[in-house]
Amino acid sequence: MSIKIRMRGKSKSGVAEVKALIKHPMESGHRMDKKTGKPHPAKFIETVEISVNGTKAVDAQWSGFVSANPYVSVKIKANSGDEVAISVVDNTGAKGSSTLKLK
Amino acid sequence: MKRRSFLKGTLATSATAVAVNAGLLIPTTVLAEWNTKAFGSKTTDDALSSVFGSNSATESSDIKLKAPAIAENGAVTPITVDATAISGVESIAILGSKNPMPLVCEYTFAPAALGFVSTRIKLGQTMNVVAIVKADGKLLKAEQEVKVTIGGCGG
Repeated sequence: MSIKIRMRGKSKSGVAEVKALIKHPMESGHRMDKKTGKPHPAKFIETVEISVNGTKAVDAQWSGFVSANPYVSVKIKANSGDEVAISVVDNTGAKGSSTLKLK
Repeated sequence: MKRRSFLKGTLATSATAVAVNAGLLIPTTVLAEWNTKAFGSKTTDDALSSVFGSNSATESSDIKLKAPAIAENGAVTPITVDATAISGVESIAILGSKNPMPLVCEYTFAPAALGFVSTRIKLGQTMNVVAIVKADGKLLKAEQEVKVTIGGCGG
């Protein structure tokens, strides 16, 4: 099952702000199920990688304390027409990726 | 009487569940690159030592940490760390000092990226949000208290 990611980005004088919205429950493993009294099993994104034209720009590691349906925004040196790619992997091994051509 | 024993029973189960949960916090199957030790640390200092190898960070006014003074819902707290005023930013870490595991996220930047991160994090209660910026091998810090009216870590 792949993780859905929506991405936006615009380059302005060589610097692009890239925003991504990822659809993911980000279950930390701490929240209790009120019916069973057991914690909901942990399911959260562990690694996030953002690259420009195939070169790695930002590498992130997350815990389960990033909000559900995470939003992330970073600034990278890129011009319009450059291709920005994001890929994520969660602790269960589910993956997701998305690419974007900068405006 | 029945009701009392029932309550006792559920309390006991939830206590064991907490214990099991604590064990689960260090997942057995992790990707090699994910820093299990740092994310499993229970204090801010421990987490910083595991990520950066040191926990002595100097306060810096060049880091712009944007966080709400009052977060109505701790589960979605917008945080922006702007360290573009500092040169040679290598990485940024965001921590919630009173979360069960303080380290929330850690970003490493290649030369193609600027030292800027904006995201949303969960805060279980009123606490200090700490942003650590590593630039030119030095650790810089900015801190801000966020008052949380509804917790965001479940329970």
